[in-house]
Parts: sequence; C-alpha cells; structure tokens
Amino acid sequence: MVCLPMANPYLVVEHLTKVYERGQVLALRDLSFTVDKGEFLVVIGLSGSGKSTLLRCINRLIEPTKGKIWLDGGEVTRLSQARMRRVRRKIGMIFQQFNLVDRSTAIANVLTGRLGYLPGWRALLGWFPEEDREKALASLERVGLRDKAYVRVDQLSGGQRQRVGIARALMQEPELLLADEPVSALDPATSHSIMQYLEQMNKEDGVTVIASLHFLSLARRYGTRIIALKDGQLVFDGSPQAIDNVKFKEIYGEDAEEVEVR
Amino acid sequence: MGYPEGYLSERPPWTTLAGIRNALGRRAHAAGRYFAVFLLDAGGLGILWILVSYAYAWYVLHATAYMLVPWWLFAVGVVEGAALWGSFGLSLGQRLLGRELGPAEGREASARVRVRYFLLWHAFVLPGIGFLFDPPLHERLSGLRLRPRRIEGTAPAPWYRTSSGLFVAALLVVTCAAAVGVTISWPALARLFRQAGETADFWRALVSPDTSILLDAGRDMIVTIFMAVLATLFAVVVAVPLSFLAARNLMTGPVGRPVYTILRGAMSIIRSIEPIIWAIIFLVWVTALRSAFAGVLALWVHSIADLVKLYAERLEAIDQGPIEAITATGAGRLSVLRYAIIPQIVNPYISFTLYRWDINIRMATVVGLVGGGGIGQRLINYIWGVQYRQAGTVMILIVILVWAIDYLSARLREKFA
Ligand SMILES: Nc1ncnc2c1ncn2[C@@H]1O[C@H](COP(=O)(O)OP(=O)(O)OP(=O)(O)O)[C@@H](O)[C@H]1O
Ligand SMILES: [Mg+2]
Repeated sequence: MVCLPMANPYLVVEHLTKVYERGQVLALRDLSFTVDKGEFLVVIGLSGSGKSTLLRCINRLIEPTKGKIWLDGGEVTRLSQARMRRVRRKIGMIFQQFNLVDRSTAIANVLTGRLGYLPGWRALLGWFPEEDREKALASLERVGLRDKAYVRVDQLSGGQRQRVGIARALMQEPELLLADEPVSALDPATSHSIMQYLEQMNKEDGVTVIASLHFLSLARRYGTRIIALKDGQLVFDGSPQAIDNVKFKEIYGEDAEEVEVR
Repeated sequence: MGYPEGYLSERPPWTTLAGIRNALGRRAHAAGRYFAVFLLDAGGLGILWILVSYAYAWYVLHATAYMLVPWWLFAVGVVEGAALWGSFGLSLGQRLLGRELGPAEGREASARVRVRYFLLWHAFVLPGIGFLFDPPLHERLSGLRLRPRRIEGTAPAPWYRTSSGLFVAALLVVTCAAAVGVTISWPALARLFRQAGETADFWRALVSPDTSILLDAGRDMIVTIFMAVLATLFAVVVAVPLSFLAARNLMTGPVGRPVYTILRGAMSIIRSIEPIIWAIIFLVWVTALRSAFAGVLALWVHSIADLVKLYAERLEAIDQGPIEAITATGAGRLSVLRYAIIPQIVNPYISFTLYRWDINIRMATVVGLVGGGGIGQRLINYIWGVQYRQAGTVMILIVILVWAIDYLSARLREKFA
C-alpha cells in the first residue's frame, strides 16, 4: 500500500530495513515516511533506536539492506558509487562528535565542504579556487568564527567546533541537511545557538533539515514535524504538538520523565 | 545392607602404594595450606617490624638498625604474633588466601576454643607432630579448622581468578626464576667478581685516549650517521605505501584481508631477525663487499619491517569521524585519503621515522662490528688488534654520538607529538 502523494515529496523512504551483519542487529525495520521540501524534520528515539543508522542510509554512508529511498525524484538506492558522490555534495551533514580533522585549521576544515565540486587532481593538490576561499571565510563569518579561521580546530570549544561543522556543510550549498544529534555534546545554551543556525538555514536558505535530537523540548521548539523511532520501528509521525504525555511514554518507555532544555 | 566403603577391598589402603601416596598427599596439602597462611602472617609481621624499627631508629635514635632487639626475640615475637593473629582474628594470610578459622563441625568458635587452639598450636605445630594427622592434631582437638572463607551462595573462584592466588603464583615464579638463574650462572657470576682485577690494563687503556686517530674515527662516524640516514630514508619510501596495505581497517574484503595477513606476517618475520643477522646475510650475499653497503642493506630491511608495523598500527587507530564526514561531502576516495587520513598520520609518521633513525644510528655501530662498515668496524678492528687505547677512544666517541642523537631525536619528536 504505497501511494506517492500528488505533489511529489522531496524525500521518500520506503520499506527501509537495515540489518548489521556483525551481531545480526536489526537496526531499522520496514521504515516508510516522506519529507516535503522546506520541512524541519526531527527524529527522536532512545539511544540505539536507529536514528544514526537512518540518517546515514539517506546519504548511503551506510548501505540499506532493503527498501528504497527517492531524493528529489531520483532513486538514491540505485545509484552507482560515482553518481552517489554527485548526489552527496548536495546533502550536508553535521555530527554529534563534529568529525573535524583536529590537526587542521578551521578554514581547512571548511574548505573540504567543496571537495565534491572540485576535480580530483585539484583536490589532491589542495588547489582550491579563490572564490572557494572567499566563500569559506564568508561561511565562517556567518557562524561568527571569522576571527578563528586560522586556528587549529583542536583549540576550539565544542560549540565553536560544531559551528565549523555547520560552515563546512554551508560550503556544499546543500538542499538537504542531515544533522545527527548535533547538540548532544553541548551545554543547553550552546545547543540553542547551534539549533538557531540550523533553523536559519532552514528558513532563510530553504534547506530541508532532518535532525535527530535527544531532547523532546528541543524537538518541539525547532521541528515542524517529528518522527519517533523505537527499536528501529516508526512509532510516531506527526506535528510536535501531537506528542502528549501518553505518546511520550510510548516512545521513551514507562519510566521516562521529560527533561526540559531551556 | 550398608557395608562401609572399602570394606570389601582386599588390602587396607595404607598397605598399597597408591593409598600411601594419597594419604601423604592429603596431609601435605593440609599442612601446605596451613603454612601458607602462617608464612604470609609471619612475613608480613616481620616486614612491618623491620620497617617500624628502621623508621624509629633513623628518625628518633639517628642510627641505622633493623630490629632493635636480639634476633631471637624478633623471631619469637613474629612467630607468636602470627599465631595469635591467626587464632584470634582474620590475619593477613587468611585474607590473602581467602580462608578463615572456624568451627569444624557445629562447635562454637568461642574465645575459649580459640585459646585452646592457640595453646595446642604450641604443642603440635612447633614440634611438627600435629601434621602427621589429617586434619592436623591441634585443629582436631580444638574443633576449629582453617576453612575456605566464602560469601553465602557464591561459587568459589579458582585460584587463578583470585588476586591472592595470582600474587602467590607470581611470587613463586619470580623466586624460582631467580633461584634457577643464580644457580646456573653461579660459576660465571663468581668469576665476574674474582677476575675483575685482570681487566685493569684494559680499563686503564680505555681511559687514556689516543687522540691521533680522532680524524679517521670522525670520518667513520660520519659514515655511520649516513648509513643510518640512508637506510631510514629508503625504508620510509617503501614503508609508507606498504603501511596502507598492512592496516587492518583499510584492507577489508576478499582481496584486502589476505594481502593484509600476508604482509603483516612477512613483516613480523623480517623484524624478528636482528639487523646484525641481516648484516651477516648481506655480507655473505654480496661477497667481497665488506663495506658499509651491506650494513645499509641490513638496516634498510629491518627498518622497513619495523616502520610498516608502527605506521600500520597508527593507521588502525585513526579517528573514523573525519573519514565519514569527508565522504559525506561527496569527495572521492583519494580526496578522503588526502583530507581525512593523511592529516591524522603525518606527525606520527614523522615521529616514528625519527625514532627509527635514532635506533638505526645505534644499530649501525652494531652492524659495523660484523664488518658492516662505519665506526663499529673500526672499533672491532682495534679490539681484535689489542689496541685498547684506540678502542677506548672510539667507544667514547660512540657514546657521545649516541647520546647526542638520542637527545636530538627526542627534541625533534616533541615537536611532532
Ligand atoms: N556498525 C555497526 N555494527 C553493528 N551494529 C551496529 C552498528 N552501528 C549501530 N549498530 C546497532 O544498531 C542499532 C541502532 O544504532 P544507531 O547508532 O542507529 O542508534 P541511535 O538511535 O543513533 O543511538 P544513539 O542515540 O545512541 O546515537 C543499535 O542497536 C546498535 O547497536
Ligand atoms: Mg546515534
């Protein structure tokens, strides 16, 4: 019973299943949902519920075991590796552990966002066009780190590193941004500032955002829609307001108490 | 129809060899257990006594003394102390071996019984008669028994899983090894001291350097340094590419895994052959090349194997995060290598290379001893030629060289930490 809606959604996930061979873990079970262009979709769920796996299946950092994914009308799951790379450059990604190259400067990290657009030999020589360098500085400016451009990232704070991560994603001029628990390693105040950058990208640049978050309060505050995973299954799909106490206990288990992040 | 067990057997157990062995074994076992506890207690008390006496003598009396009492008083004190401790409390040995003194069957472990145990101890343990019985006589008569200390409802851990068991085993192994070592090498050890005087000439020659050879020796020293530099450089050129093929995390799949296995295996074989052996191999191989070239080859081969291992292990420990992130930007495989992997390994690689260069300087002198060229060869020539003064000069130079390179390489490596 798969019916594509009339106005083609931006992202369609159909019967997505992922089995990790090692350990025989069923990480995602028959997941189906759609995302429209311009949405800010928040994925919630307990640790181990499969949020990271889901996000990585979308840009195929992890190969799905079964199921199909369409992005902007094209079937991602059918593409060859070479073509997948072309698709990936339009998909920005930021990570819980930031995943920056610690020994490089902020600007060097940000520039790697352009690698998908650069011919191979130029990439190997590190020969980025002048406008890329200007763009990198502009991206850093946008996240308020212009003055840290030539500082090694291992000398930056957690919040600053995540902003470098955002600047790197900005360099890709993404249409879709995947954010895997972008604020789990940060304190509440910093979390909000990071989330506001994501919100800004979503509202001003029209980037579709899919973010996994731990705190329901953050999800309610920033998401336009929420999906919830439990043991790899979809247990909720709807507006942030629709999650009441009963739903909450269903997603997080009987003993859970909601914690606010202000 | 309950005949007691053994009733129908033809001979009483103590008339058969197996029966005697069995009975002796059980008795020895009981005694061993008992003495293990006692020795640990007495040893612990003795050490404590000595430490306290020493500290007291040193700080209060300003003298060096270990017991402060006649040795027999010390012995009696320690032995009695251990017996008291073991009879009335949970002693050190009991704690370590996980045992405690308790009622044998049903009888109270009251203070009175414990006093009886302690007194019987003197009667039967000191003369050793008690241990002709199993359980030992004083245990039998007092109704107390050294038994495993166990928390209710838990299975006892085998000795090799308890810290005390491992401690005792380690102690035994070290003691035995030391005993065996000293016994075996005793004649040589004795000669080491007895014949020390005969080397006086040698030492005298060593400390009166012959400065006339400094120029030649200096030239050989430069040869040695260059041997090390060349061997290291050429080894790096080979080892860097190989290290990628020898990294477990990069070599996956049906082709990668065998390559990884074979390469790592080959490298560990090569590495396990010392450079001096390689030098001999190459000296035989490249006959009539009794020269620095054979030495360089030897160091080169060994350095490759060593560096591949060091490099590959570093590669295996890299952070996967950046790889994931760079892949997600749409970069190709080579770009991922260039931007996610190489930045993580450059400094460690340089550091390992410097470390290996440092080793190679030392190895180059050793390789020289078998004819691999450089300062080592000069040294061994002087020694065979009984030119001890010249040999001493060369040795001093080598010490200075090794020390200087060691210092230099450590300082450089700090920068790449
Ligand atoms: N590489 C892997 N190999 C085997 N099993 C894995 C692997 N990665 C994840 N898993 C398993 O898949 C399940 C889902 O993991 P996933 O990382 O997607 O959860 P998550 O919701 O992101 O959790 P968290 O909030 O802790 O990040 C877990 O049970 C995990 O143990
Ligand atoms: Mg996760």
